[in-house]
Amino acid sequence: MIGTHAKDSIERIFFAAARTRLVTDAQHGCEIAPRVGEAAQGEHLVVLTISSMQFRLLLLLHFEDDERTQRYYVGDAARELTECFMEFGNLCCGAMNQQLVEHFPDLGMSTPYALSSGCLPYLRELKPDYVQSYALTIDHDVRLGATLCVCTQAPLDFVASSAAIEAHDSAGELELF
Amino acid sequence: MAGVAVVLPYLIEGAALVALAAGAAAVWHKRAQTQARDAALARDAAHAAALAQAQARYAAQQEEAAREHGALAAQIESLRAELAQRRSVADALEAALAGERAHHDDAMQQAARIASEAARLKLMSSTFERWHEQMISLMAQNNDMHKKNQELSSIVSHVLIVSLNASIEAARAGAAGRGFSIVAGEVRTLATRSQELSKSYRDSLNRNDLITAATFQDIQAGGKMIAATLASVEASSHQLHTQLEATRAGAQA
Repeated sequence: MIGTHAKDSIERIFFAAARTRLVTDAQHGCEIAPRVGEAAQGEHLVVLTISSMQFRLLLLLHFEDDERTQRYYVGDAARELTECFMEFGNLCCGAMNQQLVEHFPDLGMSTPYALSSGCLPYLRELKPDYVQSYALTIDHDVRLGATLCVCTQAPLDFVASSAAIEAHDSAGELELF
Repeated sequence: MAGVAVVLPYLIEGAALVALAAGAAAVWHKRAQTQARDAALARDAAHAAALAQAQARYAAQQEEAAREHGALAAQIESLRAELAQRRSVADALEAALAGERAHHDDAMQQAARIASEAARLKLMSSTFERWHEQMISLMAQNNDMHKKNQELSSIVSHVLIVSLNASIEAARAGAAGRGFSIVAGEVRTLATRSQELSKSYRDSLNRNDLITAATFQDIQAGGKMIAATLASVEASSHQLHTQLEATRAGAQA
């Protein structure tokens, strides 16, 4: 139900969104490597959904509540790591939504929700057409995981232009600046 | 008598002269009459010629006037026909305009109705809010069940340790503890089964969490999609209404 162009486009959109929105500083790097299997890469999950009439896309971000992740996302603030990380997840998914809306005019995005990573093995219960996991390293230090899950109701294929994604990233950086 | 003889020639000469003069006068008079008649004739001829010329000119003018009259009559007829045609076209246009005005008013009413419906349907966001609250409540209940299950799992682990200790103590007691050893073994078996059940329950809760969260998020995102679409429909119908009003104002001006 989902074409190879769509898989590739969604992956590139996610990469661009993660590189600009999951970092606390635009200068920080974000290395992304595809992973085989769907094992959790942290104790906690933040899940977000983008829905359209043709498909729904779930973005699941995995993280560990450890000292380096706390330091990177919370810093000196007196806040919960999950709460802070949900904001970054929301920005990342929002950037993906903005890219996807260029191809699918009717889209909506959920608010983020925190789950235990024990839920991850049950992703298959949603009968997805495409599931892909990635390992992310932020600023050479913080390790995160991500899983993209797409469930379709109709054949889905589209090509996201690389130039448009890059232009959007630059605009996002300017907005943050 | 002599005097008469003397005078007589003179009288005769005078009479001759008188006669001559009378003759000359008659001739002159006749010539004059002839000249006058000739002149009158010449004048008559000139008049006749002038009259004929005038008549010819008049006839030509009449002919020209008749031609012009004919042309004008034809033109008037043509103009009348054109006027009738234009009147007919104007009537048709007026009828069409009245029809268009009716359509226009109908379209304005429709646009206003769509805008009103879209605005009304936007209130469905309160329904999404209700679903959101219910989902939060459901997830809170799931979290509570997770905690209770963890507590149960902790108790079961403790029971397992206690049953192991009981088995050890029963073994120390030797033959006297044999019966107690069997009870301790049963308790350990039950604790192990409870532990498995607790693990299975935890898995079910995790499965439930994921499906509930994913389903709710799909509803929430779908709701936002519908709300955005309705806002777009509302904006378009407002735009259409404004355009129709501007068109009507332009037509009236």
